[in-house]
Amino acid sequence: MIKVKFYGTGGQGIVTAGKVLSQAVSLYEDKYAITVPAYGHERRGAPVNTSIIIDTEPVLVNSFVYEPDYVMVLDPGVLIHNVDVGAGIHEDSVLVLNAVDPDIVEKFRGFGFKTIYCADGTGTALEHIGLPIPNGSMLGVLAAAGLVGIDALEKALIDSFGQKAGEKNAKAARECYENHKKV
Amino acid sequence: MKTTKKFKVLGPVATQFGAATTGNWRLERPQVDFSRCTKCRTCELHCPTNVMEIKKDQEECVVINFDYCKGCGICTNVCPVQCISLVEERR
Amino acid sequence: MKYKMLDGNTAAAEALKMARVKVIASYPITPQTVIPETLSEMVESGDLDAQYVRVESEHSALSVVTCAAMAGVRSSTATASNGLALMHEVVGMTAGNRVPVVMPVVNRGIAAPWSLWCEHVDTMCERDMGWLQFYCQNVQEVLDLTLIAFRVSEDARVLLPSMVCMDGFFLSHSMQKVSMPEQGRVDAYIGEYKNKNVYLDPTDPMFLSDLTGNEEYTEMRYQQKLALDASVTVLEEAFEEFHKEFGRKYELVEGYRTEDADVVLVALGSMCGTAMYVVNKMREEGRKVGLLKVTVFRPFPAEYIRRLVGEQAVVGVFDRSAGLGGEGGPVWYEVCSALRNQGNQVFHYVGGIGGRDVRAETIEKIYNELLAIKAGESGRHTEWIDVKDNALELREVAKNV
Repeated sequence: MIKVKFYGTGGQGIVTAGKVLSQAVSLYEDKYAITVPAYGHERRGAPVNTSIIIDTEPVLVNSFVYEPDYVMVLDPGVLIHNVDVGAGIHEDSVLVLNAVDPDIVEKFRGFGFKTIYCADGTGTALEHIGLPIPNGSMLGVLAAAGLVGIDALEKALIDSFGQKAGEKNAKAARECYENHKKV
Repeated sequence: MKTTKKFKVLGPVATQFGAATTGNWRLERPQVDFSRCTKCRTCELHCPTNVMEIKKDQEECVVINFDYCKGCGICTNVCPVQCISLVEERR
Repeated sequence: MKYKMLDGNTAAAEALKMARVKVIASYPITPQTVIPETLSEMVESGDLDAQYVRVESEHSALSVVTCAAMAGVRSSTATASNGLALMHEVVGMTAGNRVPVVMPVVNRGIAAPWSLWCEHVDTMCERDMGWLQFYCQNVQEVLDLTLIAFRVSEDARVLLPSMVCMDGFFLSHSMQKVSMPEQGRVDAYIGEYKNKNVYLDPTDPMFLSDLTGNEEYTEMRYQQKLALDASVTVLEEAFEEFHKEFGRKYELVEGYRTEDADVVLVALGSMCGTAMYVVNKMREEGRKVGLLKVTVFRPFPAEYIRRLVGEQAVVGVFDRSAGLGGEGGPVWYEVCSALRNQGNQVFHYVGGIGGRDVRAETIEKIYNELLAIKAGESGRHTEWIDVKDNALELREVAKNV
């Protein structure tokens, strides 16, 4: 059982990102995934998170993830809201971060992550889809971190966003998959 | 003179409203090119939160109440001379 | 096998589409909104041949679908929380007029305090209104139990409406892998909608829901009681047929590792999955714990409870609603009543209300308490299992003096 947690701010599509990831592993990798999104008072700009549990057999647990194996931060701005993205992590928990600025990366290392995969997800999204919505592109980095295959991810992105927008997102994901940094 | 005292209360009661102003929902903010504005009031009439006001006698002729503007972008869509654009919100 | 990734709301909409509902009237309310949204899109795109009636409230929504069903077409709505509370009056009309409407309900707390999140109080308030009630553990069950509900509700021996209850957000917004049944087999399983009792026909008028004096009222209520009693057999047949057709097995109450259990927890809804996970974990540690998952709460399958709970077992009941003013919550009352001649100790637990997550740790804490009681080690019983210590110190406001 692999436990995953995404952090971001409302409007960035972290719930959608969770759905795309669970679709990729469930429909194209013969595994089982459930998303358990934590909805607050829905509004843009507020810090939000979503939980995903992945297993090779049907997932029984229907509860949020408290001890994540993988953490993805779509908006480094969650720090302003004092979100503890290191909550519950263990020695080998991996961070996937939408930021390449060394100062920001170091701030996140302070939460206790040994391994950080980072990329400019927002920049890549702007380049490929014309919108500052980094969920598709950052899923590519998650693929690079080994959680999901990039081919499965591309298929799920096309399923979720339709052929045209899906292909753009898939390109953004592929670019981040190839051009991420592991620090 | 009015004085206040703190009381313990039961149930859902508050006198401070953290989420009452909707302005902090904004990811993007409307920016007006005043030189091209014709002061036609179309944006003012269409704004769903009623935060836009046209001041015909001022140089900055569109006044937006950013405490409540959600950045929905309807004003940019309805403006007949396209003088309003959305720019990234930086706080 | 064809799989889709669906959240509970979309699964409910897919099930209504597979049941080929002809009239839909639904008023949006969080966390149910996606159901009417999805259905309206299906109607708009032509995927679903139905009339979508826009209404101004839940009261009207259920009125429309109840009358549409009496006019001779399968019809449905969906709601949650305060929406169901507003429907309350019509909830009685649907059941009392013996109209087999099937309605997904997304469980959410009832204000105040305002909450958008999961709690069973909304449907528990309607438990004695003459509807069947199903509680889903996962998204697959939302799809399957909705289909099953149509077959059972419309059976001539039943002719009562059904609520298919799913936990707000934990199911309605949880995306899960769902095996999709083939349309042809669903058609064969549910059958065509036929008016089997009263009907609305302008060429053959009938007066419905007239004032009923006390010389007949009791008997009409008794008819409903007999139908609910009879629905147990109809449910069993429908579950068996579903298993044969689609390969997934359901029971009114499922015993999960209860055979030799020292302690048994009774629960319903999405927390049952987490409880099964805890049961497996504790069994590996050699502790004999089991779970009773109540899938059908109305009619309450007391016979199943008696059959599945050993006479020596200590029982805990997890209510996801507060049961204010009672000695315990609604599920606890039913279980106590079912076991009244068996002598089991039955402990009441309240938790997970207003969307508080029912964590594996919460359930493990309950099992540990029950095991200690069973072993005679301690009588400690934390009825409100996840309440915080500062309950009476929450809010302070400044007021004029």
